[in-house]
Amino acid sequence: MSTLRSSAARLLGALLLASGLSASSHARATEAPVVAAASDLQLALIEVADAFRRTTGQSVRLTFGSSGNLARQIRQRAPFQVFFSANEDFVKDLAKDGLMRDPGDLYGVGRVVLFVPANSPLKADGTLADLAAALADGRLKKLAIANPEHAPYGARAREALMHAGLWDAIEDKLVLGETVSQAAQFAMSGNTQGGIIAYSLALSPRVASLGTYQLIPAGMHKPLRQAMGLTKDADAVARAFYDFAKSPEARTIFRKHGFVLPGEAS
Amino acid sequence: MDWDALWLSMSLAVLTVLALLPIGIGLGRVLAYRSFRGKEIVEALVALPLVLPPTVLGYYLLVALGHASPVGQLWHAAFGSQLVFTFEGLLVASIIFNLPFAIQPIQRSFEAIPVEVRDAAACCGMSPWSALGRVELPLAWPGVLTALVLGFAHTLGEFGVVLMVGGSIPGETRTIAVSIYDRVQAFDDVAAARMSALLLAISLVTIAATFHFSRRVGRRLG
Amino acid sequence: MRGLSLELRQEAPIPLDIALTCAPGELLALVGPSGCGKSTILRSIAGLYRPRVAKVAVDDEIWTDTSAGIRVATWMRHVGMVFQSYGLFPHMSAIGNVEAALATPDPAERRRRAAALLDQVNLGGLEQRRPDQLSGGQQQRVAVARALAREPKVLLLDEPFSAVDKLTRGRLYEELAGMRRSLAMPILLVTHDLDEALMLADRLCLVQRGRILQQGRPLDVVNRPTTPEAARVVGHRNIFPARVAGHRLDPPATLLDWRGRRIEAALQPAWSVGAEVSWLIPPSKVVLHRRDRPSRGEAENPVAGTISSFVALGDTTISAIVLDGGEPRRLTLHVARHAAERNGLAAGVRISVSLLAEAIHVMPAQRPRYRRDEVPR
Repeated sequence: MSTLRSSAARLLGALLLASGLSASSHARATEAPVVAAASDLQLALIEVADAFRRTTGQSVRLTFGSSGNLARQIRQRAPFQVFFSANEDFVKDLAKDGLMRDPGDLYGVGRVVLFVPANSPLKADGTLADLAAALADGRLKKLAIANPEHAPYGARAREALMHAGLWDAIEDKLVLGETVSQAAQFAMSGNTQGGIIAYSLALSPRVASLGTYQLIPAGMHKPLRQAMGLTKDADAVARAFYDFAKSPEARTIFRKHGFVLPGEAS
Repeated sequence: MDWDALWLSMSLAVLTVLALLPIGIGLGRVLAYRSFRGKEIVEALVALPLVLPPTVLGYYLLVALGHASPVGQLWHAAFGSQLVFTFEGLLVASIIFNLPFAIQPIQRSFEAIPVEVRDAAACCGMSPWSALGRVELPLAWPGVLTALVLGFAHTLGEFGVVLMVGGSIPGETRTIAVSIYDRVQAFDDVAAARMSALLLAISLVTIAATFHFSRRVGRRLG
Repeated sequence: MRGLSLELRQEAPIPLDIALTCAPGELLALVGPSGCGKSTILRSIAGLYRPRVAKVAVDDEIWTDTSAGIRVATWMRHVGMVFQSYGLFPHMSAIGNVEAALATPDPAERRRRAAALLDQVNLGGLEQRRPDQLSGGQQQRVAVARALAREPKVLLLDEPFSAVDKLTRGRLYEELAGMRRSLAMPILLVTHDLDEALMLADRLCLVQRGRILQQGRPLDVVNRPTTPEAARVVGHRNIFPARVAGHRLDPPATLLDWRGRRIEAALQPAWSVGAEVSWLIPPSKVVLHRRDRPSRGEAENPVAGTISSFVALGDTTISAIVLDGGEPRRLTLHVARHAAERNGLAAGVRISVSLLAEAIHVMPAQRPRYRRDEVPR
């Protein structure tokens, strides 16, 4: 009786092991290269990837995060093959340290907006003058931005607030998002009075339907030069995708989401 | 619904539990039966993942398994790929952070076996392996099952360590918990809600099953 | 050599200093207070406990020899052990428990032999019951059957009767005694119950703090303990100091000087004159001088005193007497209840008694230890 039980157990074990191992090999077998992208490309890059698949029949896998985090993971030899950063400095530094094939290409210049949800007491004033007033008269309790430490959009938001002379007063009222899309979540949720988020995210129908926004003048912060690059691991499909991202079809998609190259019309 | 992520999570949970079966029974039995110098330290180390914040655990795992570590370099030399940011790395991390869930219930259920019963097994001529299979496991199996069920459910829900050690690579390390986070970031509330409901249902069933089995341990040895 | 030979030595954590043997078919009782190491001795024989120095040999098989680095694992020894709580496997039926100890490869044969063993302990018909469906006495019998199934070279019984009621215990005593003829191996019985040992044992071994105080035939040990310590373990209370005054040949007696009082004991010439000794007398051999029926026996070692405590227990009464003459220790005697009533025994009453000389047993002197209520004057 015990021998029957043990052989049944062995069979079950083998089945489970096989199914488990196939899970990992399943991904390997498809071998679609991993593209790591800053969170502000959440919507734009999915469209680009779809267009890529329609045109070439090949796929890529997308993973989003804050640029600083993704750069750190690349330094830890994460298996990314293409990197879309919201700040070109990350790509340049990685290239200097020998982790990228070359210093990369610009894919757009980003903008930040002040977004206020529907019932907010704040006004969508891009100059941040109303924000200053709201600070003074107590309308503002919490403002969402991305974490300036590792998210470029957060760093720009900080610069804009400093430029307006509001940083010291507003610092303890800030809610920091891990990524700029998390900051957008906080801004949309109604738990804050608003947030400084990426223009590309404010353009998405979902976000736009929940409030109003206004562009913050570009002069109030350093330019958000956004670059993409190929890592040392990049295979043929990754390179094809990279080239596709520079194509006119892809540029149209980028522009639609607010990513404009210097000299381009938006 | 991210089926890849669900399949990934299930595989991770099943493989973790399979690996923890011999580890849990072996170590749980030793801790139940023997007392030795430093036993409290071993028990504390085993319980550590229960109290450590996942980020601390994730940090140390990255340090211990990353490309610069001896373990990571050994793995790279042997298999040509990284241990971190892969499913295999997740499996190693998962085994470690599930240790207390595997060992403690099993240890308790072995401890509940009266010493006289174990001594009697030896006096009946049963070798240690024979005693394990014919006397100890039939009495301790509710604890073993609790350990497996808890480990399974905990692995399904683990987020912080998985994200730090695995990243969020579709088809490789994007488990269902990470996928939910990803969907929220992408403003896809519908998918996030659907996957969350599924995880909630699985967790509820698991907890109910655990309570049911742990009651049976007491009754059996009463 | 046939039978069991055992040597154990250890300082800590459990002190042990044991050397004993047990012949095939002999039942040796290990008696002593709780915690004195009796169970540890059994566990050492089984191999479940490992003293620092140990030599265990059965019928020419060496099971343990620490000096030679030999230690046979318990499961490889043919040892049958009945534990205090029986240690039955709760998830197996009675017959399953017995089968677990049988090495027969053929399942049908195994079942047959297990059933026969259960029959032998009078459990026929209860084979399929689980331990939690059996009474204490029935569980004990299963444990015995399982121990015998192992065809043991030595049978170890660790207080196997302590968990059952008195009636069942009596029945189990009879069954064990009845089985003795068919049991050809040495049997060791651990018990704290002296009466049980007297009933069942061929030899009795007094154990205290891991040491053997005395071993021999049960009645010898009980009536003639070799030291006051052994006497106390056995339960004697009337233990007093004295000095040997001399020996007389006609009529034969040994004369003792007990705190200025002269008493006569049975002739025990081995003691040198002038030696400091201890002596004892069982309470039943202290005879009351009855007011209603004086007798000639009153001349034998008469002593007088006042009753300090008087307790009636069923048909008997137990009196403790503060003796005249400065002996701090009380003298205890038993008097039948009706005689006690007729003689008006109660606390505070003065009585005189006789100590029967033939029951006075002399032992080496020992440093006196007083109970809390016995303060030397």
